[in-house]
Amino acid sequence: MEHVVRMGELAVSRAGGHVLSCIGLGSCIGVVLFDRGMGAAALAHVMLPSGAASDATPAKYADSGVPATVRALAAAGARPTRLEAALVGGASMFAMAGGQEIGARNEDAVRATLDDLRIPVVAVATGGSSGRTVRVHVASPGLAPRVTVRDAGGADEDLDLDVVLAAAA
Amino acid sequence: MTSTFTDVQLDALRELANIGSGTAGTALSAMLGKPVDINVPKVAALPVPDAVEAVGDPSEPRWAVVVPTVGDLPGHVLLLFPQRDAVRLCELLGVPVDSEDGRSALGEIGNILGTSYINALAQMLGIDTEPAPPMVVCDMLGAILASVLLSGADADVALIMDSALVVEGEACELSFLLLPQGAAVGDLLGRLGL
Repeated sequence: MEHVVRMGELAVSRAGGHVLSCIGLGSCIGVVLFDRGMGAAALAHVMLPSGAASDATPAKYADSGVPATVRALAAAGARPTRLEAALVGGASMFAMAGGQEIGARNEDAVRATLDDLRIPVVAVATGGSSGRTVRVHVASPGLAPRVTVRDAGGADEDLDLDVVLAAAA
Repeated sequence: MTSTFTDVQLDALRELANIGSGTAGTALSAMLGKPVDINVPKVAALPVPDAVEAVGDPSEPRWAVVVPTVGDLPGHVLLLFPQRDAVRLCELLGVPVDSEDGRSALGEIGNILGTSYINALAQMLGIDTEPAPPMVVCDMLGAILASVLLSGADADVALIMDSALVVEGEACELSFLLLPQGAAVGDLLGRLGL
């Protein structure tokens, strides 16, 4: 079963085999959070860096949407201290005049919020100038979800969530 | 900004879109030497996520020419073509679509159509607005629309004025959207005395 996470929404699943997806991410960011011990995963479709979220779009802003996603995962039984993150999107599709691009500002805001929450980012497919679709295939407890990314007209490619990152200083 | 519009206001905006796309259709017809039909524009004020989905399947690839507008009517004019129609349009102009010339030709079409659309509105409303240089991309429809709608003000509601131009006798159709930025819509309606 595939659950499409629309702009500003977030979804949590613990059902192995479920798929959470964001279709056609441009400057938006698909924030994947998961607790591999529990087999729980969440996907948030963040649109802008900061602001006060509404009930209909709890994940609209990075600064309030990422914590809301963590709370939703915790409510589903995940341990906040065990969460890991993967980021997809944040492209700059148009060379807009003046100022930093919204896609890059979104990524900065998501990373800053994850930093505050001490959640490591283990994989990214961000930046560039192309749109992306992300799918999170929820796995059984003990396993990381399978996260696939595709460009327009491209094929699904797996994000490697098991890269050992150099320890942050 | 008000988040909803009255029927009278939407009618007025539809009429604006009609006049703008009529002028753009005439420009396209002159460029191609072929008659161009214009459908009745669709105008809707929707929450941004719904607005993106109202235009079409967000995963569908589209060619897009984005013409930012500056001045009294900040926003974007957006031309969207399915791949097949972009190919045909470029053939009519004698250039291959997947080339620098093809992109340049689509950008020029966007420039001419966007300028005539915007000028028609500016004249009618007595406002000062002009197009910035066009940008051409081929990507997923959802990614294109979301990026355009979120590039300006942080609005909850997007106004979409959607017209279609059909080149007669050709499988060639393009969708023509005016996406005014948040506060600009209020100004627009104020100009119309609504």
